[in-house]
Amino acid sequence: MGKDVFSFIVGGKAGEGVRKAGTVAANLFANVGRYAFQMDDYQSLITGGHNFSAVSTATREITSHYMEADVVVALDKKSYELHKGHLASGGTLVYNSDALGDGDWEGIGIALTSEARKYPNPSLRLGLGAVAILAAAIDFDTENLQSLIEREYPKDTQNNIAYAMVICDMARKLIGGKYHLEKGNREMVLLSGNEAIALGACAAGLDIYFSYPMTPTTSILHYLAAHDEDLGIAVVHPENEIAVINMAIGAAFSGARVMVGSSGGGFALMEEAFSLAGMSEAPVLCVLASRLGPSIGAATYTEQGDLRFAINQGHGEFPRIVASPGTVQETFFLAAEMMNLVWRFQTPGILLTEKHMSESRMTVDINPEGAKWIEPLIHKGVGYSRYLDTSSGVSPLLFPPSQELIKWNSHEHDEMGITSERPEIITKMHDKRKRKGEAIVDYMKGMHTVNIYGDKGLVIFTYGSTTMSVLEALKVGGIDAMVVQPIYVEPLPVWELERYEGSKPVVVEQSSTGLFAALLKEKAGIDVGTVIKKYDGRPFDPIELADKLREAV
Amino acid sequence: MDDLATYAENTWCPGCGNFGILNAFKKAVKKLEEKGIGRERIIMCTGIGCHGKIFDYVRLSGFYSIHGRSMATAQGIKLANPDLKVIAFAGDGDAYGEGIDHLIFAAKRNAAITVIVHDNGAYSLTLGQYTPTSDKGFKGPSTPRGSIEEPLNPLVLMLAAGATFVARDYPVKLDHLVDIIVQAVEHEGFAFIDVLQPCVSFNNTYQKYNQLVEILDRIPGSYEEAMAVARKKDKLPIGILYRVEEPVYHKELYGDWNPITKRLSQKDRRERIAKLFQPK
Repeated sequence: MGKDVFSFIVGGKAGEGVRKAGTVAANLFANVGRYAFQMDDYQSLITGGHNFSAVSTATREITSHYMEADVVVALDKKSYELHKGHLASGGTLVYNSDALGDGDWEGIGIALTSEARKYPNPSLRLGLGAVAILAAAIDFDTENLQSLIEREYPKDTQNNIAYAMVICDMARKLIGGKYHLEKGNREMVLLSGNEAIALGACAAGLDIYFSYPMTPTTSILHYLAAHDEDLGIAVVHPENEIAVINMAIGAAFSGARVMVGSSGGGFALMEEAFSLAGMSEAPVLCVLASRLGPSIGAATYTEQGDLRFAINQGHGEFPRIVASPGTVQETFFLAAEMMNLVWRFQTPGILLTEKHMSESRMTVDINPEGAKWIEPLIHKGVGYSRYLDTSSGVSPLLFPPSQELIKWNSHEHDEMGITSERPEIITKMHDKRKRKGEAIVDYMKGMHTVNIYGDKGLVIFTYGSTTMSVLEALKVGGIDAMVVQPIYVEPLPVWELERYEGSKPVVVEQSSTGLFAALLKEKAGIDVGTVIKKYDGRPFDPIELADKLREAV
Repeated sequence: MDDLATYAENTWCPGCGNFGILNAFKKAVKKLEEKGIGRERIIMCTGIGCHGKIFDYVRLSGFYSIHGRSMATAQGIKLANPDLKVIAFAGDGDAYGEGIDHLIFAAKRNAAITVIVHDNGAYSLTLGQYTPTSDKGFKGPSTPRGSIEEPLNPLVLMLAAGATFVARDYPVKLDHLVDIIVQAVEHEGFAFIDVLQPCVSFNNTYQKYNQLVEILDRIPGSYEEAMAVARKKDKLPIGILYRVEEPVYHKELYGDWNPITKRLSQKDRRERIAKLFQPK
């Protein structure tokens, strides 16, 4: 592995502050101006089990965690056993000697629990101990560490600082300054995919976010609820996902820019109303963050098994737009772009992510000014028809209160929005919505819809969060390739993909049946060479993926 | 000329109880206008079933929603712009079957909408199956030997769910219904009216209701008394059973703000986002 990357893994039971430790570790790297990537692996439980957080950092952009770590801190025995094999050569394994007891253990033992027992809630503090060990290993400035703890652990701060200082001193004697990490010239900003969605949608005018909790979208709800007043939005958590989307469609009727979010099961509940949005021409941005399915699957693990579910969402025929971002940075701008698109074309859209995108955190360099907020087509003057039959299929909007009659309808309807079952009206309205679908394609032809990374060697097709894994694998493996990443998967930008028809590309995706490869064949006529699939709920490790890509050459 | 009518052809069966509700609603809209609530601010939402056709027959803005969801759609419309007066029409299948979750939660959170249920005890548009409020023994095509379930009591349900305005009415008592609709729309929080609606094709209850309906001479003095009135079986009292002022949902959520009319400018929003992008 190229030693430009430094990696840290902390593992322990849920309730020991493991995820928080990963977050603080990533912040610590960003604090000294380094790029960082954090992936949390946790189970669907509140206490016990096994959680770990893998954080990698470099002085260049880094788009994945690495499972080969330079510093591993095991807070409990299970973590020790699971992660000692992840140690890189020259790496340091530190274990909680209280949790392991007497024995012939590899690595360095520190009595994290006995020291924590000097304060209230000892188990909650263990993760902080891991941060202190990391700080010692990379010789992180003590004053900075203290202010970081003040910010990150605002409850019981003095005890936290006292505890961290003691652990840090213990660790300094054993491994102090063992690793030298070059600093960057400015503090970096870290964002999770879900935070990027939240802020991107706000940049494009989000007024109300409706959601019912479901991993891995829940942190959008939490983030926006925590910042509703800062951002000037409302956040509503109603009784179920059916209420979520129907309320959102109602709010869009009033003129509010709305977003809803869920994962597979909750999204399935929204499907009837997704079709309502298609018929009533309601602009609704829907976040579908995939986790491992089918059904409840593995709630906290990642997969790309919802590709077909997303693009085929809703009964009946109507246009929809589905986009899947390839990096956290892209997620921000794509959330904004999708908000504008659903309003431009008055049809539902899906921002498709995965657990690995939504919940992983990475350093970003975003200028929010780059996100547009485009006003929709608004009716002026008198004589309004909600479903005016225009050449583009897009009818001007008007919102109540108004002297004009504004009727949105789930039934087939005439231009006024009054229900109609007349054959000529049914045909006319189908044609109107079909033209709108064509107008979307025409418009997208002028947009940036496909990312291309690299210009020689192996042609690789990938999409969504797997893009990040592929990019990092190419870097660590020193592999020459051209990565083609469609940002939009419905309509699939076939006009950009035609040139790869005979390229026999390698496809990389996190699906068991190769949904993306099949879509490329069906929609773009691309015959795929090898499909590298992973469907164990875990994102690719870049080193592992680099090996697979080399095999595919 | 009826300036609240549209060009849509009315396809309710002659003698349908829905005509009374339609006429009462139009009269209520005129009364509300006299009271300063302009019709441009009155928004209709409907579900699916015979009741839903009222959407096409009234010249008011609104949303013809899907089965069971008119109450959710209505709450969304209201939350986005609380200056609007939103009325969700629903059938008994909508409100007490498919969308009962939204009804209960709208009441629980005191969402500031009015719900008018066209309660005819039959899924008439699908040819007369039993509904949540059909009498036990009701013979429909899905229950040829008679319904084996006890009917739901919507008034008890709404009182239990925390509704702040609970009423029952009967379209044959047209002026009474007009008055109750006006009061419901004027109520600041969640208002609920169960309208006993005879269905001439599948559940003709005119005779039964004409005998059992009696107008309440006053609003019952307590929650317990309201419950007792709601549970009466020998008579069907109509009027307001319960009315109380409680904090309304949108005000609890965001105070005097209005997501549409008080929306931040693009510039202000950008500045606020930029603040969240500062390194910590």
